[in-house]
Amino acid sequence: MSAHADAPHHGPPIANQSSRIDASVLGMFLFIASEAMLFGAFFTAYFFVRVVNPDAQPWPLPPFHLPVFVAGVNTTILVTSSFTMHWALQSIKRGNRNGLKAGLVLTLLMGLAFLLTQMLEYARIGFNPGDGAFGTIFFGLTGLHGAHVFIGLTLLSVATVRAFRGHFTPEHHHGVEIPGIYWHFVDVMWIVVYATIYLL
Amino acid sequence: MRRGSIVRITIYGVLAGIAASLVAVLVPWLPTSASEEMDRIEFAFWFTTVICIGVFSVVAAAIIYSILNFRVQPEDESDGPPIHGHTGLEIVWTAIPAVLVTAIAIVSAIVLARNDDAGPNPIRIAVTAQQFAWKFEYPGDKKVVSGELVLPVDKPVKLTLHSLDVIHSFWVPEFGQKSDAVPGVETTLVITPTKKGKYRVICTELCGLGHSTMRAPVRVVDQATYEKFLADKAGAGAPDETSGKSIFTAAGCSGCHAFAPAGSDAEVGPKLDNVDPRGRPVDEFLRESIENPNAFVEPGFQPDVMPSTYAKTLTGKQLDALVQYLVDGQKGS
Amino acid sequence: MTDVAHAAPEAHHHAPAPPRRGIKRLTGPGFLRAAWMAPLFWALGTGLVLFFRWLGHYEPTADWTVITVVGFLTTAPIGFLAGIGAFDYWLYYIAGRPTRVDDHASHGAFSWRDYFKVNTDHKVIGVQYLVTTFFFFTVGGGLAMLFRAELANPDMQYVDTQTFNGLVSEHAALMIFLFIIPAFAGLANFAVPLMLGAPDMAFPRLNALSYWLLPVAGLMFLAAFLAPGGAFATGWTSYAPLASEQPLGQVFFNMGVQWAGASSIMTALNFLVTIITMRAPGMTFWRMPLLVWANFTTSLLVVIATPFIAGSQFFVMFDRVMHTNFFHVAEGGYVLGYQHIFWFYSHPAVYIMMLPGFGIISEVMAVFSRKPIFGYRLMALSLMGILVLGFSVWAHHMFVAGLAPWLRVPMMVTSMIIAVPTGIKIFSWLATMWEGKLHFRTPMLFALGFISMFVLGGLSGIFLASVPIDIAASDTYFIVAHIHYVLFGGSVFTIFAGIYYWFPKMTGRMYSERLGKLHFWLTFIGFNGTFFPMHWIGLQGMPRRVADYSAEFGNWNLVISMFSFLLGASTIVFFYNVIVSWHRGPIAPSNPWRAMTLEWQVTSPPPVFNFDEIPQVVGGPYEYGVPGAKHAVLRGGAATVHEEEVVH
Ligand code: HEA
Ligand code: HEA
Ligand code: HEC
Ligand code: CUA
Ligand SMILES: [Cu+2]
Repeated sequence: MSAHADAPHHGPPIANQSSRIDASVLGMFLFIASEAMLFGAFFTAYFFVRVVNPDAQPWPLPPFHLPVFVAGVNTTILVTSSFTMHWALQSIKRGNRNGLKAGLVLTLLMGLAFLLTQMLEYARIGFNPGDGAFGTIFFGLTGLHGAHVFIGLTLLSVATVRAFRGHFTPEHHHGVEIPGIYWHFVDVMWIVVYATIYLL
Repeated sequence: MRRGSIVRITIYGVLAGIAASLVAVLVPWLPTSASEEMDRIEFAFWFTTVICIGVFSVVAAAIIYSILNFRVQPEDESDGPPIHGHTGLEIVWTAIPAVLVTAIAIVSAIVLARNDDAGPNPIRIAVTAQQFAWKFEYPGDKKVVSGELVLPVDKPVKLTLHSLDVIHSFWVPEFGQKSDAVPGVETTLVITPTKKGKYRVICTELCGLGHSTMRAPVRVVDQATYEKFLADKAGAGAPDETSGKSIFTAAGCSGCHAFAPAGSDAEVGPKLDNVDPRGRPVDEFLRESIENPNAFVEPGFQPDVMPSTYAKTLTGKQLDALVQYLVDGQKGS
Repeated sequence: MTDVAHAAPEAHHHAPAPPRRGIKRLTGPGFLRAAWMAPLFWALGTGLVLFFRWLGHYEPTADWTVITVVGFLTTAPIGFLAGIGAFDYWLYYIAGRPTRVDDHASHGAFSWRDYFKVNTDHKVIGVQYLVTTFFFFTVGGGLAMLFRAELANPDMQYVDTQTFNGLVSEHAALMIFLFIIPAFAGLANFAVPLMLGAPDMAFPRLNALSYWLLPVAGLMFLAAFLAPGGAFATGWTSYAPLASEQPLGQVFFNMGVQWAGASSIMTALNFLVTIITMRAPGMTFWRMPLLVWANFTTSLLVVIATPFIAGSQFFVMFDRVMHTNFFHVAEGGYVLGYQHIFWFYSHPAVYIMMLPGFGIISEVMAVFSRKPIFGYRLMALSLMGILVLGFSVWAHHMFVAGLAPWLRVPMMVTSMIIAVPTGIKIFSWLATMWEGKLHFRTPMLFALGFISMFVLGGLSGIFLASVPIDIAASDTYFIVAHIHYVLFGGSVFTIFAGIYYWFPKMTGRMYSERLGKLHFWLTFIGFNGTFFPMHWIGLQGMPRRVADYSAEFGNWNLVISMFSFLLGASTIVFFYNVIVSWHRGPIAPSNPWRAMTLEWQVTSPPPVFNFDEIPQVVGGPYEYGVPGAKHAVLRGGAATVHEEEVVH
């Protein structure tokens, strides 16, 4: 709407900014709150199957094993990508375009690496969603998270494209900031999933 | 507020209260209680009702009074007095409801505790629900199973409920108590019947297309009759023996089918006294109808209502016995 | 809808893009493009399914359940939305093109056609919402008429049990997910930005998208009737494990809920951002109209709770489609988990279906009593109280479900405590009327009807909250009575009040007061006649969700059915009134009710961008009777604040 600042009668009046927080940032935070609750629903299912259920199965369900180590490596990859994301944002705030591009590309690559590793893991893991409530919950939570990584990557690639087209400036960089917030959320979520599924 | 208006509004309140009370007493709200648990539930119910009638009367009085007294005069464009609030009042109508609901909660909690407690050694009956039939297993060294629930009067009974497929719910209105039968979870229910007579188990949890037909007969009898019932059953032999009669009740057939020899009069499924074998040997037809009910669906009835699990749950010997029993029971032709 | 429905285009406003010609009409946003994009996307989805199933050696490769879920219920709708142009702007953005300076071509409505396009004007969207939801109300109610006919007599008459359960489930699903919840969203969509002094919602395109998800969800529910095996028939609660063993129609419910849920999450998010960041100068939180407060709290509920029903429906659906074991006992699943997750949304949902109504009633009460709302701040705080408590009572729907026994008493207590904040609201409304100058216009009648009926419904709720009573009453017609006293006597009455209240503002025309009052009385009588007897037939032994019941209840059910037809007929009066008045009702002044809130300070219907200049808020919204009090001062060409002659 800012396009109309010059011409008051040329479209809507400029809305009053009644809060310090920016609309789209707040929007993303609320969206994340909702997303967190979706994970919450899946964790509740996990909780019921593994804790509440009077005759809960062993975890992991023999004879299956969880590739704790590979997943651990994968975790570090994802966590690192949070830092590169942060770097990208800081760079554009300081007006450093190349830092922005490099940061975004690195983040993107690490995200892809994570997703690929997880797919390989699925292919090699030797059990499927039908193998007991254990298999169900495993694929349910990791799958849900995988889907979120995918969404995050899509947002990031958009930001990257625009970064290379030189769209962002130290003043206007929501296009980087907002996907960034989401990406950090996805990473944090993974740490929780990893801890509950693989470690506990 | 002037005295006159106070008097008037109280009158409206009293009138509303009387009207509500009339509705409460003239309409038969609850079934006639047939168990100690239901007696207590009735107490909780009436306790709550009294409080709610009070609340309702207050609200009704205020509304009626306002409608009658504060209606605007025609052409009057003016506004009312700018009253923004009154802390005292607000505290009152926060506190009083709080007290009232607390009272209800306490009474309910006590009733609940008493209704859950079965006493030292209740009669333990295992209830098994399945689409769309009930099965009752009685205690005792001889495993007695029946499609009918028979209880001795004035003895606390503890039912343990299981389900073989989906969620069902056990309810006898006159007993008040209700509980779902949940696959994988054992639920319990305490009933102390106080009136002899015939009642009905109603399945109250939507469990598929036979839900509305999932009923089972209940009989509350004196101790002697109860023991005789058990003895007969035991004598007639548990279902694993080859007595068609006992299988017929044990497997729940009697819950759905009228069949004279078994003395059952249920109407969910067709009468079995003279089955029309559709030009095939009766025994063969009967066997098929039991093992695979949908193979031929009797006109006027729905498929999938009769359990199709009997081929699995009954042994070959039992099936033979059952079919033989039905064949023998056929009238005419 | 007619072209009087919205302000004539102002000279300075960009006219919508010129209609496309020839082949271009197939590529431009609209139903034509949707007509080929939906099948295309269906093919894509189905192709993916076939490819992956072939890749993974699944048998059979063409599994129709999976194809239905992915092709028909997921990708085809996306294709449809893309077709009508719901995503165009974002696609431009994603493609990295410099985003076009938004020319508002898709803003405002200048002919009835604009109501069938993706429109970013919150007022148009509000109307779209209301028309759509009332369509589904008619369908859902029509279904109720059908199964009431079946229930008029014991035994089976017209439909078999599966069909009956299907009718009941569709009835509830449509009424809840496509009438009550979105109808409130529609009213708020229209009123909230105006009340805040904002030119539009924070995210107009998201707003448009969240509207267009509704028809998708609704048609999905209805399409279930065409599925082999008939419509979903497990009630609107679709409990596991039954729901994962039912015919295919069930997945139409599982997925339809996802679309409807996504819609309400987006709207809620939009409301929250709008309310937080776009209030006019001087509009502090303690100066917001209570309707805004109500939608603020409701939106919080939606954002937090809705993902849980999404989860629960995914789980039952996966159990069927992907053979997972969330609720398969034999494989270590846990059946009651479903109910916990479902009710953790669906109890808050009942407040999602009531709080906006509370807001509407507050507006109506103050205006037609010509008095300030009694205890404004406590009114706002009690909303928040209900919000918080609402999350701590879900298990009161599971008192007989084999719930952990220790959980029952705490949940009973919290459930009952909710009577306190709700009571505060009821009594404050009564006090607002006290010594007021009551104008018994139709909205006020519905407001009074609401108070009396909702109190009854709430009180029956207290009975149910008491565990021992609930043990006797659960899953009987007593529940059905409670449902309708709170949802019809509560929510629906407030929706009617709101429709009549804002009708002049939305359409620029006055409705017929006479017909409005007739509608109220018919509804009031029909409603009580239909639902009051359900209380005792339930307690006496009539379970819910049965097509066939024992003969002793025959007479009462006949009475109920008769009244239900009256109730149905009463809505015909409503539709007649609305449609006729919309065409040729008397022109409405900008402020027929002499209300103070901002939406009434602009023309009826409001200008495309609501205000020429953002107003300055200087006082509370309900300062009736306070000499010289003003809620806001408007600069620029908006209608003057002093009241015109009211049209009777
Ligand atoms: C608009 C929707 C709405 C609302 C507002 C409510 C409000 C309440 N509901 Fe209801 N409820 C439903 C919709 C709603 N409900 C639906 C749809 C179902 C069925 C779901 C299904 O299909 O299974 C259901 C079922 C349901 C159950 C489960 C019954 C069962 O299945 O066994 C219970 C049990 O506790 C319950 C309780 C309550 C309570 C305590 C309130 C309270 O919020 C009520 C508070 C209000 C008042 C109490 C009146 C005003 C207060 C005063 C005047 C103050 C003084 C009052 C006292 C001192 C008591 N409801
Ligand atoms: C807001 C929600 C809402 C609304 C408005 C209604 C409205 C109505 N409901 Fe519904 N109902 C529910 C929500 C609602 N219901 C829910 C949640 C359930 C639980 C379902 C479950 O168990 O899962 C339920 C269940 C339910 C049952 C219990 C079914 C069962 O358990 O077996 C019954 C039975 O009578 C019923 C009846 C009605 C009737 C007669 C109306 C009437 O008010 C409808 C009036 C409206 C119309 C009729 C439509 C408009 C008018 C026309 C189409 C004109 C032409 C028609 C004629 C003149 C005949 N409803
Ligand atoms: C839940 C209810 C129910 C139970 C329990 C049940 N049936 Fe049925 N039965 C039906 C229904 C309904 C039909 C009619 C539809 C059909 O033919 O499948 C039927 C049909 C039959 C028929 C065919 C009758 C005819 O005239 O076609 C026979 C024989 C039969 N049942 C025997 C049994 C036996 C033996 C048992 C117990 C082992 C049993 N049923 C248990 C409901 C039931
Ligand atoms: Cu079993 Cu309903
Ligand atoms: Cu509830």
